Amino acid sequence: MERESLLIATLVELADNLVDDYDVIDVLTVLCLRCVEAVDVDAAGVMLASPDGELQFVASSSESMTVLELFQIQTNEGPCVDCFRGGLAITNHALSETDGRWPHFTPRALAQGFRAVHSLPMRLRGRTIGALNLFRTHQGLMTDDDVLVAQGLADVATIAILQHRSTIDAGTLNAQLSNALNSRVIIEQAKGMIRQSTGCDMDEAFNRLRAHARNHNEGLTGLATRLVTKSIDAIDLDEWTKTRSS
Amino acid sequence: MTVHRLLDIFTLIERFEREGSNGYALCAVAAEFMALDGAGIAMISDSEDLTSLCTSNNAAGALMDLEITLGEGPAVDASRGDANEDTNLLKESASNWETYRPEAAALGARAVFGFPVRLGAIRFGALSLFRTTPGPLNAEQDSDAYLMASVIGRAILSTQAGGSQENLVGELNGASMLDFRVHQAAGMLAVQGCISVKDALVLLRAHAFGAGCQLSELAERVVSGLTRLDPESREWIDAPEIENNE
Repeated sequence: MERESLLIATLVELADNLVDDYDVIDVLTVLCLRCVEAVDVDAAGVMLASPDGELQFVASSSESMTVLELFQIQTNEGPCVDCFRGGLAITNHALSETDGRWPHFTPRALAQGFRAVHSLPMRLRGRTIGALNLFRTHQGLMTDDDVLVAQGLADVATIAILQHRSTIDAGTLNAQLSNALNSRVIIEQAKGMIRQSTGCDMDEAFNRLRAHARNHNEGLTGLATRLVTKSIDAIDLDEWTKTRSS
Repeated sequence: MTVHRLLDIFTLIERFEREGSNGYALCAVAAEFMALDGAGIAMISDSEDLTSLCTSNNAAGALMDLEITLGEGPAVDASRGDANEDTNLLKESASNWETYRPEAAALGARAVFGFPVRLGAIRFGALSLFRTTPGPLNAEQDSDAYLMASVIGRAILSTQAGGSQENLVGELNGASMLDFRVHQAAGMLAVQGCISVKDALVLLRAHAFGAGCQLSELAERVVSGLTRLDPESREWIDAPEIENNE
C-alpha cells in the first residue's frame, strides 16, 4: 500500500477503535504494527512513565521475548529514557559496539540485529508521559517525512492513553497511566498461563489472546483478567492463524 | 525520582521499625511520606471481605473501622476499582458515600483518598489516606500515593513469602515492578501447580529468597522451562541439564 493510503487506513482504523470502551493496550499494539508498515522500521514499541516516573513497556509490534527484553532494559537506560527525560526526539542514532552511551542496551540491541534506533516523545501539555521507540535492522537515515509520520502516530498514542476525557488533571493522568501499565501486567500473567496450558511460545500466546478478544468483541485486558482469575481456561481460547499483521 | 523517593520510604520504614511501632510500619510510613494526617491499609480477605491490616493512628483506625462497617468509602471503592477521593466531606460531592461522609467528618476528616493496591489482575486491597483540612492532593502527593501503593503490594507478597526486611529492600531495588518475566513466570507456575497467580508470585519470591537468587533470574528460568513446579507435590524441580540439549 502507498504510504498515504496506509496512513488514511490507519487513522480510520484507530478512529474506529477509539470508541467508548476500547482497550488501551490493543489500540497501542495496532499503532505499533502500523508504525512498522508506515515508517521504514522493523520494530516499534511504546513505553510509558508510571506515576512515580519510571518508564515501563506497554505495547510493541512484536511480543517476542528478545524484543520485550530491549524494552525491559530501558526501564534503566536507553534511547527511551533519554528521550523521556529530555522531552526531545532521538532520531537516526546508529548503534555500534564502540558507542558507550547505553552500555547495557546497545550490545543487546546489536545482538538482535538492530542497527539504528529512534525514540519520539509522547507529550501532553508540557508533560512527557512516555516515548515511542523505533528499531531498524539497517543503518541509513529516517527522512523528515518518516519522523513526521512517526511523531504523528506518537501523538495519537498519547490521545489513546488519555481516553475520552476532556479535562485531564495530574490525578486523572496518573490514574490513566497506572491503569495502562497495570493492564500490561495482567496480559503478561495471562500470556504465561496460555503458554503453559497450550505449549505455545509467548509471541503466539499474545496473538491467541488478541485473536480471541477480537473474535468475541471483548477487551484484551478484560479477557486477560478472566484468564488470571480462572473464569475462562486458556485451552478454550480460539486458535490463532497467522494472516496479515492485524 | 523513583529511586530518590524509594530511599525516603526505606529510611522511614527503618525508623518506624526501630521505634517498634505496632508491628506493621507501612501505614505510619505512608502518612509521614505524603505529609498527611493519617493512613490505613485495607486488605481483601479470601472470602472477599475487607479487613484492616494497619492504621497509622487512632483517627485513621476509627475511619477504617467506619468504612469496613458501612461497606462504603474510599478504600472500599479503591479495593474494587480505581483511585478515588472526596476532597471536602462537608460539601456536596460526587461521591456516593452518603452514610460515610458525615460520620467521617465527625471523626475529624475533611478530605479522604483511596488508592488500589494491586498487581496485574491481583487485588490486595487499598491504601486509604485522610487529611483534617479539605482540598485535593498535590501532584507530588498523588504520584507518591501510587508509588506507596506499589511498595505495599510488594511488601505483602514479600511478607507472605517469608522474606525479611532486607529481602524486601532488595526486591524494591532490583528489577522493575513490572518486570514482564516475573509475571509470565507467575502465570506459568499457576497452571503448573494449579494455584492462583497471587500464590505463584509468593512462591516465586519464597524460592528466590531461599536460593539467594534474584527474582528476575528465577523468573527467566521458569519461562525458559529450566525450573518448574511439580504438579503433585508443588516442589521445585531444577533441570539445568536441559540447557545443553536445547
